[in-house]
Amino acid sequence: MTLLYTHPSGFRHVTPPSHPEQVSRLDAVIGALQDMDLDRREAPDAEDEDILRCHPASYLATIRRKVPTDGWAMLDADTYLSAGSLTAARHAVGGVCAAVDAVLAGEGPNAFVAMRPPGHHAERSRAMGFCILNSIAIGAQRALDHHGLDRLAVLDFDVHHGNGTQDLLWSEPRAFFASTHQFPLYPGTGAASERGVYGQIANFPLHSGTDGGPARAIWREICDRVAEWRPQLVLVSAGFDAHADDPLASLVWDDDDFRAISRMICDSATACSAPVVSVLEGGYDLAALGRTTRAHVEVLRETSL
Amino acid sequence: MTGIENMSFEDAMRELEATVGKLEHGEATLEESIALYERGAALRKHCDGVLRKAEERVEKITLAANGQPTGTVPVEGL
Repeated sequence: MTLLYTHPSGFRHVTPPSHPEQVSRLDAVIGALQDMDLDRREAPDAEDEDILRCHPASYLATIRRKVPTDGWAMLDADTYLSAGSLTAARHAVGGVCAAVDAVLAGEGPNAFVAMRPPGHHAERSRAMGFCILNSIAIGAQRALDHHGLDRLAVLDFDVHHGNGTQDLLWSEPRAFFASTHQFPLYPGTGAASERGVYGQIANFPLHSGTDGGPARAIWREICDRVAEWRPQLVLVSAGFDAHADDPLASLVWDDDDFRAISRMICDSATACSAPVVSVLEGGYDLAALGRTTRAHVEVLRETSL
Repeated sequence: MTGIENMSFEDAMRELEATVGKLEHGEATLEESIALYERGAALRKHCDGVLRKAEERVEKITLAANGQPTGTVPVEGL
């Protein structure tokens, strides 16, 4: 059965009024999954050892020092810390690590980690784009270094390029990283020419207005690459902001496109006998976020290894 | 930011180049970047319109069989 990891601390990462990465995003996601038959688990606090696989101790210490007792501390023009933010980010990391451990132990064919803040923009020593700790990259590194996997894939369909994940996996020969994203748009990276030290990174920038047709064709191509890579684990940065209704981007994917792309990813993982850990990233129209997350988790639910 | 419809072609192009540069170099924040993209798209549309209006009729010189010029005809579709 599909595992669902979340933790109440995700509701205590509070952003300033009118900030799009808001607490109610998690309400929308949890609400949309409420009546589904899932193996619900609490996302634990992360081990420092896991965080330090991707971020230096000095970075973690700086974030810890900046956490305010009330109000907000600004890390960059988009990214804020409230009193509960570091705890939430740590449980987001802990959820991904626990999900990786569980699926690799055969406790389920896949898992979805419904936490915030998101993580894929966080670079080694830089919080940015609403992200503080790069949960998915940390989960990937744990799978490689702690579990000793030889090959895994990290697939990112958030509308913004996963610059942090790319930064952290740039010279990691065991990880294939692929991303579709609107370009030009924040954060400005993700050109097709960015291929990683070993050519193990594949970027597919999409023009504004790109609908699900070309997007599905590209994901077909990415999934063919996944099949060739033969990963032992597939990690997904599941951002739902390529949806037509999203206020922060202008791709025009619909609910069915997210379902179809999720299906392709799950099928390619199953063909490699690889479990899937999918991690919530962006998605800022609350109604579309709820529907598309539900569609994505339904596909996970229909997938067996 | 000023109204785009009254901008000169040069001013609009200059702002468009700066806007694209900001987006490509990651100088915009995540929240701003979609508004910046939309401004860029509007600038591009304005520049296209100005160019279309300013398009001159280009004429080509016709030559007689002996190679002497005999007149001009408009070139369509350039």
